[in-house]
Amino acid sequence: MSNEFAQFQDAFFEEAAEHLAVIEEGLLQLEQHPEDLDLLNKIFRSAHSIKGASGMFGFNAVAQFTHKMETLLDLLRNGQAAVSSTIADLLLKSTDCLKTLIDAAKSGTPVDNETVQRLTVELAAASAGNVPAARHASESAKVAPAVPTGKAQSYAINWTPPEWLFQRGLDPLQVIKELGDLGTLSQVAVDVSRLPDLAEIDPERCYLSWSMRLKTGKDRQVVEAVFDFVREDSVLTIEECETLSVKREGLESGNEIRFTNDERPSESGAAKPLGEILVESGVVSRAALDEALAQQKRVGEILIEQHAASPQQVEQALQKQRQQEATSQSKKADTASIRVDTAKIDKLINLVGELVITQSMLSDLGTRFEMSQIHVLLERMAQLERNTREIQERVMSIRMLPIGTAFSRFPRLVRDLSAKAGKKIQLILSGEETELDKTVIESIGDPLTHLVRNSADHGLETPEVRLDDNKPEVGTIRLNAFHEGGNICITVEDDGRGLDREKILAKAAKQGLIAENEKLSDDQIWSMIFKPGFSTADKITDISGRGVGMDVVKRNIENLSGTISIKTEKGKGTRFTLKLPLTLAIIEGMMVRVGRETYIVPLLSILESLQPRPESVKTVIGKGELINVRNTYLPIVRLYEVFSLQPEHTDPTKGILLILETEGERVVVMVDEILGQQQVVIKSMEQNFRKVEGIAGATILGDGTVGFILDVRGLMEIACREAPLVA
Amino acid sequence: MSRIALVVDDSRTMRQMVAFTLTNAGFTVIEAEDGKDAVRKVEAGTKLDIVVTDLNMPEMDGITLIKELRRLTAYKFTPILMLTTESAQEKKKEGKEAGATGWIVKPFNPDVLLKTIAKVLPA
Repeated sequence: MSNEFAQFQDAFFEEAAEHLAVIEEGLLQLEQHPEDLDLLNKIFRSAHSIKGASGMFGFNAVAQFTHKMETLLDLLRNGQAAVSSTIADLLLKSTDCLKTLIDAAKSGTPVDNETVQRLTVELAAASAGNVPAARHASESAKVAPAVPTGKAQSYAINWTPPEWLFQRGLDPLQVIKELGDLGTLSQVAVDVSRLPDLAEIDPERCYLSWSMRLKTGKDRQVVEAVFDFVREDSVLTIEECETLSVKREGLESGNEIRFTNDERPSESGAAKPLGEILVESGVVSRAALDEALAQQKRVGEILIEQHAASPQQVEQALQKQRQQEATSQSKKADTASIRVDTAKIDKLINLVGELVITQSMLSDLGTRFEMSQIHVLLERMAQLERNTREIQERVMSIRMLPIGTAFSRFPRLVRDLSAKAGKKIQLILSGEETELDKTVIESIGDPLTHLVRNSADHGLETPEVRLDDNKPEVGTIRLNAFHEGGNICITVEDDGRGLDREKILAKAAKQGLIAENEKLSDDQIWSMIFKPGFSTADKITDISGRGVGMDVVKRNIENLSGTISIKTEKGKGTRFTLKLPLTLAIIEGMMVRVGRETYIVPLLSILESLQPRPESVKTVIGKGELINVRNTYLPIVRLYEVFSLQPEHTDPTKGILLILETEGERVVVMVDEILGQQQVVIKSMEQNFRKVEGIAGATILGDGTVGFILDVRGLMEIACREAPLVA
Repeated sequence: MSRIALVVDDSRTMRQMVAFTLTNAGFTVIEAEDGKDAVRKVEAGTKLDIVVTDLNMPEMDGITLIKELRRLTAYKFTPILMLTTESAQEKKKEGKEAGATGWIVKPFNPDVLLKTIAKVLPA
């Protein structure tokens, strides 16, 4: 191979002799202790060392022969082949042969090829049938076809490194610098759109993507090699764009594609720029868009020139833009402004008027206050509280919008999907008037779109199949929204084929998500579809099936502190239920005291409070403490135990028990005292500290101290851990 | 100030060759003969610019060493290159998951070694 290391040859021969001795001795011992794995490992390592080092000096005969030995040894130590006296014998003979080969390499004399050949065949035969197929999958298989070399080639490179890039000691700048060494880099742009809010940034994660142009005389492989260490985990596109200049000339000479619409970024924000729409629909990457914008041409034309989008795709995006302009319901417009019913504003102005009156009454009272007027002061203060509360409610309600705004896009979507997939689909919307927080509505559109697309593509069958199954020819997708407790539920339901249990299991096993014979509950199986890269679609359509998405849907929902659940029946259909908090900021709470600490229990989760009689409290071995409430046994969670406090009461009959409910399950929490009801502003703990089990967040109480808001779900989990719930 | 490299390989010859190449390129080299030896040698939080490690080793193998190093704050982001053979795709994957920055395929020449190091070593 190379002579640079020639001076180490002697060292190699010396070491090889040692390894040979280890191998020989080991093999002899192995005959006595065929099960000794340590011994096998030791022999394997020695063979491996000889193989590695001999290759470095170009002793290929040695390397190849040792490789054969190593393969057999590997099978033995993995238990795929058993140590027999025949095999031990063969290995010993091979060791002798290896010794001869090494000596020959040392002295430069020819070797007895016949023996080598014979043993090579025997070693291969001993390993045969046990060698896993395609184990030596070569890297080169992944390399794209070569591009003619010699002349300077221009590449458009889009690179989204994996988030954990830094954690493997990789530096993205290093990669870009290396690219720069290959030729001339231009239009290097960084995409920061995935950057979360400052508070949520994990400095050890990489949220950035890059796009750039590289002009180089080097091969495509050389460019790709720069990304060697990250390629498998990155989203990377390297496109040749040498043809660009030619195309542009064509356009300038009159073949220009014109669009009736002005697709330049609209400054008013009334509708989304075309590029945004294309990026969102996944037609082009953001980097490609930025580059297009930098050229100061119309985005649509440029994207078509670059083959990033077809004229049809651009035309579709333009249509979408027109729609959005017409309805003024684009997300961008929403973030800039909000449409409010004038009645709401009138009411608000009235309330502010009242507030002003109350305030002037109070200041009037303040200028000539005497202790005898204390009751008047208290009365006015109560009035101020009423005014404040009402204004708060009204202002909050401004943020509440009917979910119909998020639903309105679906009739069209479903129509297009049914045409594309050759299916007959009807869409039924209900609960459009259900109001929820504007930020939630804004973020729910994309996950919902994905679910609807999934239902249309995977869920519903073709008319023929449906008729065969005695189902109505027309499939139904149902979108519904309703309030449930402090949450809003949105369901996406279809009457299609349902999720295929076996298919999901097979796929999950194939992807290594579960063990071959693992027993899983239905819910666990369904949740597989939320794993990244999971898709059971047999073929990928342009509607869905690329296995990107459901994980994103889940993440989006979780970002809104929501949950997503699946109910499905084979042949009957599938229902996705999204459960989201009504608003993310304020809850109605009940203040309770434990020892000297104050906690807030979300009011909506409290069913009742009681002080039990001694006989209704039972201790069941292995199940903890239970209380009989109208013949239902519920587990008791002593809050002071969970949070390690010094309580006033340790006897449930002396303290107060609160029966809490969430997601249909109940738990009883023991506190010292109920202090009263209050609206509290939730301050996230995770943002500044970390998640604490049983605590949903914190708030600042009237006296300025911090109170913790209980997480009923979390408490339930604590209760389940200590005492399995009695049905 | 010269840069510091940790070279871990149970094969003495390999270790010496890597160390020799790096020393010639201006590195100060710390040699270790297996993972355990390596951990012991950098326990005190020795500043390291790069780690080059073999995977198949007695006592503590390369994969475990990579995991151990990544656990330590001082080496959380230190480039770690593993020495692999062309056929050891599985090992390579395992190493990557453990936190290895990249790999060098054996056999290699000094040029390849230095180029690969330059690829991951911040200038």
